[in-house]
Amino acid sequence: MRELVVEFSREQIAAYAAASGDSNPIHLDDEFARSVGLPGVIAHGMLQMGLVARVAGEPGRLRRLSCRFAGIVRPGDTVTFRGEESDHAVKLTAVNQDGQAVLSRAVAELDQPG
Amino acid sequence: MTGRVYPPVEFRIEAAHVEAFARALGADPADGVPPTYAAVYALGTTARQLFEDPVARVDFARLLHREQEFEWQRQPELGETVTAQGRVTSDVERRGIRLIAFESSVTAGGLGLCRSRAVFVIGGAP
Repeated sequence: MRELVVEFSREQIAAYAAASGDSNPIHLDDEFARSVGLPGVIAHGMLQMGLVARVAGEPGRLRRLSCRFAGIVRPGDTVTFRGEESDHAVKLTAVNQDGQAVLSRAVAELDQPG
Repeated sequence: MTGRVYPPVEFRIEAAHVEAFARALGADPADGVPPTYAAVYALGTTARQLFEDPVARVDFARLLHREQEFEWQRQPELGETVTAQGRVTSDVERRGIRLIAFESSVTAGGLGLCRSRAVFVIGGAP
């Protein structure tokens, strides 16, 4: 099993916004985020998926990766990403500090090693 | 909007950009192109066309990414130019909530490299 624990910060979310080109203000501007019904800025789903991909397996073997963005992640949240490989599939989970799944139906398929 | 197809977009996989992306994920850039860089070359390139399409009338500020799937034939290489094309596979509205399914296919040198399937929700509860 592979595991990655990440405490999300505004800086990481802003760095992901800049690097990915997704600068939707819901990720960057608290006031704006609240104006559309969010509790404040939230992390990109694709940032969560990028982190869960790190526990999915070697990038070169990855053939498929899918997930549902089940819960929001805010700065200060700590999310534990886990990947458990069996045969050529990897069951992935992402759970926050309150035990809530922030990703669901997260799964990867890998090529055979070697 | 179901069935709407956008023109193909070319995108070059630039080392400096990939490195910034890897660092934002806390990954080591020496490990190569992060698989979810597909968020940039497959999804970002094509979803932008949907979001900026006046006919699609997507309320971007209220848009949430609900599901995502990527399939790869292989990972792209630095310096390579890929071609991405997006299409709306489903666009439905129920009780004020709009669900858009958007697929993108990426090729390089005419051969398949990656497919992306995204579901966006507009006007739903976070």
